[in-house]
Amino acid sequence: MAPITQASDETNHQALLDKLDLYAIRKPFRKPTWKPPQRRNKNVKQIIAEASRKEASVMATQNNSGSSTPLPPATGADTGATTPANGVNRQPNIAQAAQNLSQLVLEKNLRAANSTGPTVTYTNIEAAPSLHPASQRHYCDITGLPAPYKDPKTRLRYHNVEVYGVLRTLNQATTENHLAARGAHTVLK
Amino acid sequence: MANDAPPQSGRNSPKPPPVKLYSVKEPPFKGFQPVDTEGYEKSSPSTAIVIDNGSSTVRAGWSFDQSPRIQIPPLWSKYRDRKLNRTFTFVGSDIYADGTARGQSKNVYEPGSNIINNWDAMEGVLDYVFIKLGIDGESGGIDRPIVMTEPVTNLGYTRKTMSEILFECYGAPSVAYGVDSLFSYSHNSGRTGLVVSSSYTTTHLIPVLNQKPLFSHASRLNWGWYQGAEYLQKLLRLKYPSFSGKISDPQAEDLVQEHCSISLDYENELSRYLDWTGLEDRDHIVQFPYTEQVVVQKSEEELARAAEKRKESGRRLQEQAAKMRLDKLIRKEQEVAYYKELQEKITNTTKKEAKRMLESEDFDDEVGLGKKIKEMEKSIRKARNKDLGDTEEEEQEIPTFPLLDTPDDQLDEDGLKAKRQQRLAKSNYDARQRAKAEREREKARLAEEERLDNERREADPEVWIEERRVARQALLQKIRDRERLKADLGNRKSLANQMRMKTIANLASDNPTKKRRRGNDEDTFGADDADWGVYRQVATGEASDDEEEEDLNNSLKSIEAQLLKHDPLFSEQSTLEAQTDWTKSLMHAFTRGCWPHDPESQREANQIHLNVERIRVPEVVFQPSIAGLDQAGIIEIAANILTQRLDEGYRIDVARDVFLTGGNTMLVNFDQRLRGEMVAVMPAGSEIGVRRARDPLLDAWRGAAKWAQGAGAKSTFVTRAEFAEKGAEYIREHHLGNAF
Repeated sequence: MAPITQASDETNHQALLDKLDLYAIRKPFRKPTWKPPQRRNKNVKQIIAEASRKEASVMATQNNSGSSTPLPPATGADTGATTPANGVNRQPNIAQAAQNLSQLVLEKNLRAANSTGPTVTYTNIEAAPSLHPASQRHYCDITGLPAPYKDPKTRLRYHNVEVYGVLRTLNQATTENHLAARGAHTVLK
Repeated sequence: MANDAPPQSGRNSPKPPPVKLYSVKEPPFKGFQPVDTEGYEKSSPSTAIVIDNGSSTVRAGWSFDQSPRIQIPPLWSKYRDRKLNRTFTFVGSDIYADGTARGQSKNVYEPGSNIINNWDAMEGVLDYVFIKLGIDGESGGIDRPIVMTEPVTNLGYTRKTMSEILFECYGAPSVAYGVDSLFSYSHNSGRTGLVVSSSYTTTHLIPVLNQKPLFSHASRLNWGWYQGAEYLQKLLRLKYPSFSGKISDPQAEDLVQEHCSISLDYENELSRYLDWTGLEDRDHIVQFPYTEQVVVQKSEEELARAAEKRKESGRRLQEQAAKMRLDKLIRKEQEVAYYKELQEKITNTTKKEAKRMLESEDFDDEVGLGKKIKEMEKSIRKARNKDLGDTEEEEQEIPTFPLLDTPDDQLDEDGLKAKRQQRLAKSNYDARQRAKAEREREKARLAEEERLDNERREADPEVWIEERRVARQALLQKIRDRERLKADLGNRKSLANQMRMKTIANLASDNPTKKRRRGNDEDTFGADDADWGVYRQVATGEASDDEEEEDLNNSLKSIEAQLLKHDPLFSEQSTLEAQTDWTKSLMHAFTRGCWPHDPESQREANQIHLNVERIRVPEVVFQPSIAGLDQAGIIEIAANILTQRLDEGYRIDVARDVFLTGGNTMLVNFDQRLRGEMVAVMPAGSEIGVRRARDPLLDAWRGAAKWAQGAGAKSTFVTRAEFAEKGAEYIREHHLGNAF
């Protein structure tokens, strides 16, 4: 409850807050019946993990071994040995129907995949690591200048002897922070 | 330039004080935004609300607008004030109006990503948008279609949740999603080309053929303005560990925008960045707010008054002391008078009576009394003289010690005592004389030495100078060794430190060391004066070797002074002081630019010098490995898309139109650098066109608005009925949106 800009001072700050506050404003365009689902805030990692888990489970059920199908799909139609009037086959076979449906979906997906290559997802459009030799240039961890040397003890790269003098005075935590800036620090798990 | 170049080993010429001090901005509070009902009144149920749902800024307006009516950062803050018993909600830049609101603020997006993470905040931001757009909600919902941007290859969960909110919470009749950079490209009438969108949290490259984006060849680099600002903050924290000010995230973003630019030739520019010449232009000083410690400057008058006061009190003290002395004197005089009276009485009475009187006064005999009187008279005389101001000259004549020559057997007990005293006094006196003579001799020896030295110099100046130089080198080596030792002692595992520990253990232990066990059992420590040096070795810390260092520095200075005087080749610039001058120091240039630094000054303690960072931070887009990002830079990605992934037939057309959009591409020279490097990686003779969006920030919104008004867009909206039937993740594909 403190003013942090020039826009208000102690005397008119509360008035400004009252004016800016959105909580008290009526929002008729929101449906009163809307209840946000619980735990809907997920980070990218969670979302991706859940999506891939779901995909894996769908694949597992679609790619079934036949144990869930009491009858092979071709028995009835091809041979004609059994009449449609046969009481057993006239019973709706839910497992078979489900399998047919999932097969259909799978086939459709496969077709789609074949036509345009692998589907594009959030994860697979990420740029790959660099393979170009020029990306192996080294820069001084302290000044950012080109670094021909590396201190074997701290693993810091440095520009010249003066910078080396400085890096010898750094303690371990600072050294690690310098390394962390280029992602070369030791991560303890 | 040539005459500007500094001499090889001299001080660099000083620079004029910095011309411009930059500062950081206040929290970007924009003030109260009124509700704008004009657009709503003008709109019809088919007019879309266009929301560019960006991670740096959410922009919203009506599809017929030229520019978005609302631009706010995606921030939301909701908290309960216990004192007022009231809940507050603030959205966008309003959170900067209040300390608590700012402290409680949440970002809609996951930090450093383009994925929405906080849906309560998202709802808050949408509430703000619809309120400020003046939607009355009479129908119980927003009765306008919504066009919203989403990231490239948005995650299914994110789109599902967003659709749920739009349809179920706000009751939108229909919704369409599209990709911001593609909207921007279409707004700049692009048809075939490579869209390079470097924005707040990500950098995307999407090839587009005949207005159709090829997402299968698109690529994302996880770096943008936000990461740049974060990286800059990290670097500054390492550069100024003792910096007490705080650089907030918006301030860091401003610093990147205002001071950073893309280098056209990074390697070359970088290696010269801290050179003395022109450093004053490359080094930007950012001044943070500070409070100067006020040193009260006293006026002449005040100083005079203070001096007078001091004098006055001094006088008073003197007076008091004089009075006390006088009292003492009087007392003493009275005592002397009493003793004299006693002496008189003694001479007049019998021996026995006299003895009794003396004993009652604690005297052994008459001699003692006489001595006492004499002593007191002497001290009275002395005190009187002192009072009068002239101190009696100490008797300078050589004291005599008559008793010393008398053999002991000729003396009685008192005599012996007196003799002992005289002997003591004599040895004391002798020692003083000896020391005096020693001093004289030393002085003479030094004078003689100097004379010889001068003689030698005049006889053979070359040899003399050579000798001096060698001596100077030896001193320098010594100083260097000391420094190394000091550094080594800082390291617990170093040899020097281990030796020190050993010495301490030896000194502390009562057991004789090995050496003494063999043969001589005597402890001879201290027999040689050098033995005590061990304590000097052992002592570390503040004051331990300051003295010696001072010695070394002094003798170095004297030698350098001699060389300066007599050696024609030794100039002022070859002195150690000149060589280690701050103007020669790279680290000084790095942290403090080309100006002297005063560690006491609060003003300078709150200054940040941006120099190498100005090109180092934006360079990461081209070389992500600088910041430890294990991805290829945009040039490599673009080359890969153009030369490997695209069919050869399209390559030429795509390379002709490389289109830059997004806030991060506004950095100076971004387009030029991209063009230059693309030429290098593309086959020889390829035509490469690089252009910027007319407005890299707003064109995405404008493109979306234009698209929403177009005829083709209507069929790609997902209606509420479709949402209910086909699921929350369902979208209709169109050329400016993601594939389903």
